[in-house]
Amino acid sequence: MNTTLLILIAALVILSLIFISIYNGLIRRRNEVDNAFGGMDVQLKKRYDLIPNLVASVKEYAQHEKELLSKLTALRASALKPDLSVDEKISLDNQISGAIKNMLISVENYPELKANENFIFLQRSLNEVESQISAARRTFNAVVTDYNNGIQVFPNSIVAGMMGMKRKEVFVISEAERENVDVSKMFKQG
Amino acid sequence: MKSADSLQEIYHSKLSPALQSLESTRKEVVKRFLLSVLILLLGAASFILGQGSSWAFVTGLSIAILAFVSFWSAIRKHDSYKQAFKNNVVRKIIECIDPDWQYHPESCISENEYVESGLFPRRWDRYNGDDLISGVIDKTDFRLSELHTQYKTVSVDSKGRRSEQWHTIFKGLFVHADFNKEIKGETFVLPDLAERLFGKWGQKLQRDASRGQLIKLENNEFEKYFVVYSDDQVEARYILTPKIMEAILNIRKRFNTEIYLSFVGTRVYVAMSFTRDLFEPRLYRSGVRYSDIEQMYYQFNTISVIINEMNLNTRIWTKE
Repeated sequence: MNTTLLILIAALVILSLIFISIYNGLIRRRNEVDNAFGGMDVQLKKRYDLIPNLVASVKEYAQHEKELLSKLTALRASALKPDLSVDEKISLDNQISGAIKNMLISVENYPELKANENFIFLQRSLNEVESQISAARRTFNAVVTDYNNGIQVFPNSIVAGMMGMKRKEVFVISEAERENVDVSKMFKQG
Repeated sequence: MKSADSLQEIYHSKLSPALQSLESTRKEVVKRFLLSVLILLLGAASFILGQGSSWAFVTGLSIAILAFVSFWSAIRKHDSYKQAFKNNVVRKIIECIDPDWQYHPESCISENEYVESGLFPRRWDRYNGDDLISGVIDKTDFRLSELHTQYKTVSVDSKGRRSEQWHTIFKGLFVHADFNKEIKGETFVLPDLAERLFGKWGQKLQRDASRGQLIKLENNEFEKYFVVYSDDQVEARYILTPKIMEAILNIRKRFNTEIYLSFVGTRVYVAMSFTRDLFEPRLYRSGVRYSDIEQMYYQFNTISVIINEMNLNTRIWTKE
């Protein structure tokens, strides 16, 4: 066997090893993104599950908020539809966040409801899930950034191009949301 | 919690008289130490002057014994001075902050609590601490004490002589308090020495598999000072909200020292490095000083700073 052939084979082996390691790295990153999105989905579902309870307990005390209640119920129904695109999911979720916030503000006018133990527990659960959603979103953004960096640097970009991997968008968190919910207004204890 | 004004009032009405009466004890301690040194010098002088004669040896030896006894009595007096200081002065400062807080001058955070925090995995050979305080602020219970842990290395030189070296693992204030959110995993916030020294390259050195995944957060200033590890990416961000990151940065700036935090079980653990001993009386200058008392008051207040900055009394999540 001549030396040129040996060198050629060695170069090929090294190149394919590099290719495999880049390929695996990119796949890992893509899976992390899917995983993070899944984690967020779980939290969003938890919030959808809380909505019927919220609607039921508000209905009992606050008949005047019918419009808000039916809006919330309708939003939940559309959020639970299968085959929603990511963008639709996000937009529905933002609307639900807003509707819940409005609901909790108007609850201020019903002292009896505010003092109701079930309702207090419900509020706690909503705050909990809200914080979890926000953490899940930040995680999603972090892994997406990592993924985007991963597919754009050289030589990963060549492999990513061959695999058809495209840049993914991070969540834009609205200014109002970034400023954590003002809980002292929403939730006066005692 | 009382204000600094009322501290001044208490200083004049209660602390200052207590300190005055301790002054004579302090002077006595200093006197005994000085006397011991003098005796020791005398012994050394007679030993050298006598040039190995048996007379000089006997005198030197007896003076050495005398010096030893004198030192011993000085140390005992010093201990009783410290004890009196803690019971008459430190205890009153703590009562001034909150009369319901418990103060145990001789106890410290237990070894179990220290291990539980997971902050310093290195096995220790020496574990000391004192000034344990426990109490509740609003809804948050806490324990804090001074702590000093060390490990030992033994080296043997070319002549076969063994020598021991002691190295500090942690020295400073160790605090833990009830955390207001439910957590399942373990999250660590540690000083980021690598990134401060080597910049972005330092990030490569930060991977520490034993502590879990390296978590990158979006607050750049926070990232500059701290490195975060957790076994759960989402939970780490659930704990370290943008507000909490700001709070931790504020605490770090306020005390200008290295801070280690962990979130484990139901508690948040905070360890703050201090090289000097805390809550101890000065020996070689007058103990009657308002500034000393004020400083101590602020050191004890560390716990309220932590609880308030981190909003630990906000109980709006599912954990009560």
